[in-house]
Amino acid sequence: MAKQIIKRILGLVLILFVLSFLVFGIMYLAPGDPAEKRLTSQGVVVTKEILQAERERLGLLRPFIVRYADWLKNVLVGDFGVSFKDDLPVGPKLIKGLENTSGLALCSLFLALLISFPMGILSAVKKGQPVDHVVRLFSFIGNSLPNFLISVLLMYLFCIQIKIFPVIADGSIKGLMLPALSLAIPMAGRFTRQIRSEIIEQLGEEYVMGMKSRKVKGRYILINNVLRNSLGHILTIIGLQIGTLMGGSVVIENIFRWPGIGKLVMDSITARDYPVIMGFVLIMGTIYVVINLIVDISYRFLDPRSF
Amino acid sequence: MDTILRINNLFAGYGKECVLNDISFEVEAGKKVCIVGESGSGKSTLLKSIHGFAGVSVTGGSIEIERNILLGIVPQNPGGSFNPIRTYKAQIGEALKSNNIDFKIEEVEKTLQTLGLSDAKRALRARPYELSGGMNQRMAIATTMLLEPGILLCDEVTSALDVKTAGIVVEQLLEINRLRKTTILMVTHHLGIASKMADYIGIMKSGKMLEYGPAKEILDNPQNEYTKNLLKALPRLKVN
Amino acid sequence: MNHKRKKINRIKVTISAVVALLLVLIALMASVIAPNDPYVTNASAIRSAPSAEFLFGTDNLGRCVFSRVLYGARTTIAATFILVAVSFLLGSFVGILSGYYGGVLDEITMRIADIMLAFPQMVVAIAVAGILGGGLSSAMIALGITMWTGFARLARSHTFAIKNCPYVQAARLAGKSGPAIMMSHILPNIIAPLITNALTQIGTTMIGISGLSFLGLGVVPPTAEWGSMINESRAYIQIAPWAVMYPAIATIVTIIVFNYLGDCVMEYRDED
Repeated sequence: MAKQIIKRILGLVLILFVLSFLVFGIMYLAPGDPAEKRLTSQGVVVTKEILQAERERLGLLRPFIVRYADWLKNVLVGDFGVSFKDDLPVGPKLIKGLENTSGLALCSLFLALLISFPMGILSAVKKGQPVDHVVRLFSFIGNSLPNFLISVLLMYLFCIQIKIFPVIADGSIKGLMLPALSLAIPMAGRFTRQIRSEIIEQLGEEYVMGMKSRKVKGRYILINNVLRNSLGHILTIIGLQIGTLMGGSVVIENIFRWPGIGKLVMDSITARDYPVIMGFVLIMGTIYVVINLIVDISYRFLDPRSF
Repeated sequence: MDTILRINNLFAGYGKECVLNDISFEVEAGKKVCIVGESGSGKSTLLKSIHGFAGVSVTGGSIEIERNILLGIVPQNPGGSFNPIRTYKAQIGEALKSNNIDFKIEEVEKTLQTLGLSDAKRALRARPYELSGGMNQRMAIATTMLLEPGILLCDEVTSALDVKTAGIVVEQLLEINRLRKTTILMVTHHLGIASKMADYIGIMKSGKMLEYGPAKEILDNPQNEYTKNLLKALPRLKVN
Repeated sequence: MNHKRKKINRIKVTISAVVALLLVLIALMASVIAPNDPYVTNASAIRSAPSAEFLFGTDNLGRCVFSRVLYGARTTIAATFILVAVSFLLGSFVGILSGYYGGVLDEITMRIADIMLAFPQMVVAIAVAGILGGGLSSAMIALGITMWTGFARLARSHTFAIKNCPYVQAARLAGKSGPAIMMSHILPNIIAPLITNALTQIGTTMIGISGLSFLGLGVVPPTAEWGSMINESRAYIQIAPWAVMYPAIATIVTIIVFNYLGDCVMEYRDED
C-alpha cells in the first residue's frame, strides 16, 4: 500500500515536471517579445539599444535550457518572477488571488454537494417515479447551462430586477452568493446525475437483496451500506470536477469582479504579462493533480479491496 | 405435531410467467424438510415466494405461516448477501438491531463457534471479501440463526462448497435443529444431502411437486418414475 | 417490456436527432433566413425593442439581434462540429494505431494522453487561447489540445479488445495487412462508441467555445457569436434585456438539444 502511494507520488512529480516544461516551452514560443512588451507596458520609448539592454537584463539571450532551469529553480522556492506590468513579484499576487478563489470554489462546491446529495439519493431510491423524473429534468438542464449564462441571468434577476445582491462581488458573504451559485448550479446538475446512477448501481448489488431478506432496516441499508460503498466513486467524480470548477471560476470571477486568481490571469492575458500566466497554469495544474492524488488515495482507503 | 407452514395449491412466478404450478405441502414444527429438484424446477422460486420476495408474484393458492414466526433465509450465494467491504460485526449488529434483538457479543461468538468458526473474534472483525466461500457460508448461517427464526430457509447452501465443507455445513444445520428445534426447509438439487438430513422429502420437476412425504417412504418406496431415476443415480447410497 | 423500452428509446433518438438536424440546417441557412444584415449598424434604431422589423430587437449599435443570433448559430455550431470532428478523427486514428500495434507507439501516445488528462481542460484552454491571442481558431486549438485524448483512449481500449478476436486473427493469418484489417474489421466495430462519445462532447464543446468567446478569447468582434453577444450586451441588460436573452435562449436550447441527443443515444446503446 505504502509502495503504491509512493509510486503515485513519483508519477505526480514527473507529470508536474512535464507541465512545467510545457508551460515554459509555450511561453518561450509565444508570439511577442517579453522585453518589448515589458518596456511598452511601462511606457518606455523603445529603441534598439534599450531593447537589447532589457533583453540582456532579463536574461532572455541565454539558451532555452539554461533559462528553463533557472526559472524552474526559482519556481520551486516560490519565486515566480516579477510582473511585466508593475515589477512586483508574481508569487504574492498569485497567492492572494488563490486565497479568494479557494473561498469561492469551496463555497460553490459546498452548495453543489448540498443540492446534489439529497437529490441524487432521492431520485435513485424513487427510480422511475415522478420525483425521479423531476429531479432528472432539473439536473439535465443544470448540466446543460454554461455558468457564464447562469451568472448573467442571476445578475439580471437578483441585482437589477429584485435588488437584493450587489452586482460586484465586494468580498462580503452577500457578494459571494451569486458567483458561488453560478458555479454551483451546473456542477450540482452533474453531481446529481452521477450520484443517482452510482446509487442505483449499488442498490442493484446482491448484498442489498441479502440485507432485505434479513429484514435489515432501509435506513441502515441506504446510509451505512449503499452510501458508504458509493463514497469512493462519488469522491472520484468530485475530484474530476475540480478542473471544470477551476475553468469556470475564471469566467465567473471576471463577471463579478471577484479578486481571485482567474480575474488576475485574465487581466494578465490582456496585458500579455507572461510570468503571471505561467504561474497560473502551474499552480492550477499542481492543485488539480494533487487533489486527484488525494482522492485516489482516499478511494483506496474507502474500498479496501482496491489495495 | 403443530403445522408451522402450509402451502395450498400455490401458483407463483415472475411477472406473467408462471413458474410454480399447483404446489401443496405442509411442514411440521421442528422437522427438517428437503425439496429436491434439478435447476429450473422452481425450487428456488418456491423458497422465495415463501419468504415473500418482492420479485416473485403469487397468482393463486395460499401460503400459511404460523403467526409471529420469523423466516430466516440463507441464500444461494451467502457471501454475496453481505456488503463485501464492511465488517461482519457491524453488519450482524445492524441485522439484529433491525429485528429488535440485542447484540450480545458472547451470544454471537458462541453461535459462530457452534458453526465451527473457532476464532470468532477474528471472523467478526473480517470483511466478507477477505474470507473464503465456506467461511462466508457459515457466517451467513450464523447471522440467520442469531435472528432466531422459526423456520430456516436454505437455498442450495451446499452447492458452492467442496464435498468436505458441504458435509460440515450439513452437520451443523442438523446440530442447530437438534439444539434449538428450528424447522429447516432446504432446497437442493442433491438427493444425497436430502437423504442424509431430511425428515421429509419433496421432489420437484418443472414447477410441480411430484412427490412429498416422509423421507423413509420416498427413499425406500418411490412412487414416481422420476424419483426412481434420481435414486438410481445414487447407487452407493445407503439408507439406515 | 424490454422491447417496448427499446422502441421508446428509438423514438427519442429519432426525435432529438431531427431537432438537432433542424438546428444545424437553420445555422447553415442563416444567410437565407436572416431578415437583416447582422453587421449593419443603425444609429436610428439603437436598442429598440422587438418589433416586426427586428424580431428580437436591436443591440447597442442598432444591429438586428435576430439576424445576429442566426449568424451566431453558424459560428458556434460550425466551430463545435469542426472541433469535435477533428478531435474525433485525430484521436481515433492515434487510438486505433496504438491499440493495434501496441509497443513503443502505444506507450508514447498513452503517456501524452495521460499528461493531457492530468490538466483541467478549461484552464489549459484559457492559457493557450490567451497566449495565442484570441480568435476563433486559437480558441478551437486551445480546446482541442485536450479533447482528442478522450477519443484516443476510447479507440485504443476498444481496438485492444477486438484485436484478439478470432475473426481478426483469422484475417491476419489470411495475410491481410495491418491497415486493411484496421479499416475493414476494427473500425466498423468500434465506430459506434466513438460516435456516441462525439455526440456527448458536442454540448461541452459548445459551452467551452462560447465561454472562451464570452471571455473575449474566442471570436473577435464584430463577428456574431452567442457568447460574445451576451458579453457585449450584458452591460446594458437593464435597458435592452432582449439583446442578452435571445442569444442566451439560443445557447441553452442548442446545448440542451445536443446533450439530450447524446444521452438518448447512450441510453439506446446501453440497452443492447
